[in-house]
Amino acid sequence: MSLARASWRAFVVSIRLRVISPWSYLNWLVFPLLFAAVGLYVLNTRGASSSHLVYGVLGGGLIGYWSVAYIDAGNGIQDERWSGTLEQIFATPTPLWAILLGKVCGGMLFGLLSFLPTAAFAYLGFHAVLPALDPWKFVISLGVLTLAFFCIAITLAPLFALWRSAFQMLNGFELGVYILCGFMFPVAVLAPWAQGVAGVLAPTWAVRALYASTVAGGPHDFALWWLVAGALSVAYLVCAYFLYGLVEREARVSGELALA
Amino acid sequence: MAVKAAIEARQLRKIYKTTRGVFRREKVEQVALRGVDLAIEPGELFGLLGPNGAGKTTMTKIFTTLLLPTSGTATVLGLDVVRDQWRMRRRIGFVFGGERGLYWRLSGLDNLRYFADLYRVPPEVTRKRIPELLERLGLAGRERDRVELYSRGMKQRLHLARGLLNDPEVLFLDEPTIGLDPVGARELRVIVRELADAGKTIFLTTHYMFEADAICDRIAVIKGGEIVAKGTPSSIKKVVQDQGVVEFEVVGMPAERVASLRALTGVRSVAVADHELAQVVTIHCSRPADVMTQLGLVLDGMSLEKVSSREPTLEDAYVQLIGESS
Repeated sequence: MSLARASWRAFVVSIRLRVISPWSYLNWLVFPLLFAAVGLYVLNTRGASSSHLVYGVLGGGLIGYWSVAYIDAGNGIQDERWSGTLEQIFATPTPLWAILLGKVCGGMLFGLLSFLPTAAFAYLGFHAVLPALDPWKFVISLGVLTLAFFCIAITLAPLFALWRSAFQMLNGFELGVYILCGFMFPVAVLAPWAQGVAGVLAPTWAVRALYASTVAGGPHDFALWWLVAGALSVAYLVCAYFLYGLVEREARVSGELALA
Repeated sequence: MAVKAAIEARQLRKIYKTTRGVFRREKVEQVALRGVDLAIEPGELFGLLGPNGAGKTTMTKIFTTLLLPTSGTATVLGLDVVRDQWRMRRRIGFVFGGERGLYWRLSGLDNLRYFADLYRVPPEVTRKRIPELLERLGLAGRERDRVELYSRGMKQRLHLARGLLNDPEVLFLDEPTIGLDPVGARELRVIVRELADAGKTIFLTTHYMFEADAICDRIAVIKGGEIVAKGTPSSIKKVVQDQGVVEFEVVGMPAERVASLRALTGVRSVAVADHELAQVVTIHCSRPADVMTQLGLVLDGMSLEKVSSREPTLEDAYVQLIGESS
C-alpha cells in the first residue's frame, strides 16, 4: 500500500512540475503543432486522398505523445541529477521502478494532451477529419499504443539514471521511432531492412491499427496487430525487470547518480 | 557485554574506475578509501574531518547505501550496506550540504510530503510529523512558499527536516553548515546537538574544526582515504599538547626570513597566509616564549603587528595531522 502511495506521489509531483515548466508546454503543445502543420501542408495537396490526410491529423499528436512519454521520462531523470535530487530519491526505501512508474504515468498523461491541439488545428485549419473513424477500434488501438509507449519508457528510463551520457545516446532513438513506426507515413514506404527493425518496435503495430481504425477499406487485421504490440510490450517489461536490478547495483558501483 | 556499534566499517575500501583521454581512452583507478576501520556507538555524535578529496563523502555515501564498497564491510544498525539496503533505508536519514537536492519549484511542504511518501511513512504519522518538524526547524509559516524563495539557511533546514521525516535512528550529515552565515550555522549546530542529546546517532563530516570541537563527542581525521587520528577532540589536541603557537602580522615576508624562522630551535612549522595587504605568520613550536624573544633578531628591521602566543587548537592538531601541503 505504501508503495502504491509512493508511486502516486511521484505521479502527482511529476504533474505539478510539468504544469509549471515552460519546456513542458513546448513538448506537448508547440512541437506537435509544428509537426502537424508540416504534415498537413505536405499531404493536403490537390487530389490527395483522405486516407493520407489522417497522417497529418494524427501524426503531430503521435509525435507529441511519444516525445513527452519517452523523452520526458529520461529528461526528468537528467533534471533530477542536475538538481541533486536523484541521489535523494534513489536512497529512499522506495525502489526506483516505483518512482519511475509514477513519473512515466505523469508523462503519458501530458503526452495524450498533444492530440487535442493537433486535431483541433487539423479540423479548424484544413477541415481535415478522420474519414471513417471506428471509435471502439480507435480507443483500443490508442490503449495498446499507450501500453507500448509506457513499456518502452519504463524500460529505458533507468538507463538515464545509470549513465550521465544516456540522454545524448537515447535522444536519437526518439527521432528514429518517428520514422520507423510510421507516425507520419506508412511503414510500407520504408526500405525492407528498416521495415524489419520497425517490426520489433511495439508502437509500429499499434500505430498501424490506430490509422486503420480511422479509414475505410482493408484488409485490417486488428487482432493480430494488437496482439503483436501487446506481446512486444510485455517482452520489454521482462527486460525491464532485469534492467532495474542491474541499474540498482551498477549505479551504486559507479556513483553516477551524482553530477560529479 | 560490549555495546554493538551503530555504525561500523572494517577494512573499507572504495576504488572508482573511470577513463581518461579522448582518442586513446585509458582506464584509470582512483582510490577513495584505503581500508578504513571505524566503530561508532549508539547515541554518539561522531565527526569526520578531512580536506577535500580525503574520502569523507565517499564514506558517507557508502553508509547511506548510495555506493557499494569495493571491499571490506560496512554496517549500520547491524545491517549490511550491500545486502540489507532496503531495511536500512527505512531507519537512516541523510543530509548533504549545499542548496541542491530539493525541488526548487515546489513548496517546502510539497517537498516534505513527497519524501515522506518515498520513505513510506504512514500518512497519519506524516500529518503530525511535518508540522512538528517545520516548527522545530523554524520553517513554520513559510512551508507553502516555493523553495526557490528560501534563503540558504532555510534550504539547509528544509534538508534537515527531510532527513528527519522517517524519524531515523542514525543521521548522516555531510558538511551541513557549508555556505551558511555564522548565525545560520550556529542555529544548525544547536539543532544537531539537540538531536544527539535526544539519542540519535549522528555521523557528521565537516571542514570546520571549531564545529567538530564544539559539538562532537568523538572525531576522526581522514587523509587520502585513511584514518590518521581518532578520539575525543581533547585527545586529538594532545597531538600538539607540547606545542604552542606564535602568530603575528607583517607587511612583506621574504622567503629567506621564513627560512630563518624555520631554523630556530623548537620551531616545527611556519605558515604564511595573506590577509589583505599584510601576511599572517603562524609558527608552531615547542617553546613559544623562546621563539618570541628571538623574533626581534630574526626579523630585524621589520614592523611586526599583533604579536601573540596561544594554546594550540583542534585546527592546529588537524593541520599537523594532515600536513601543511594540504
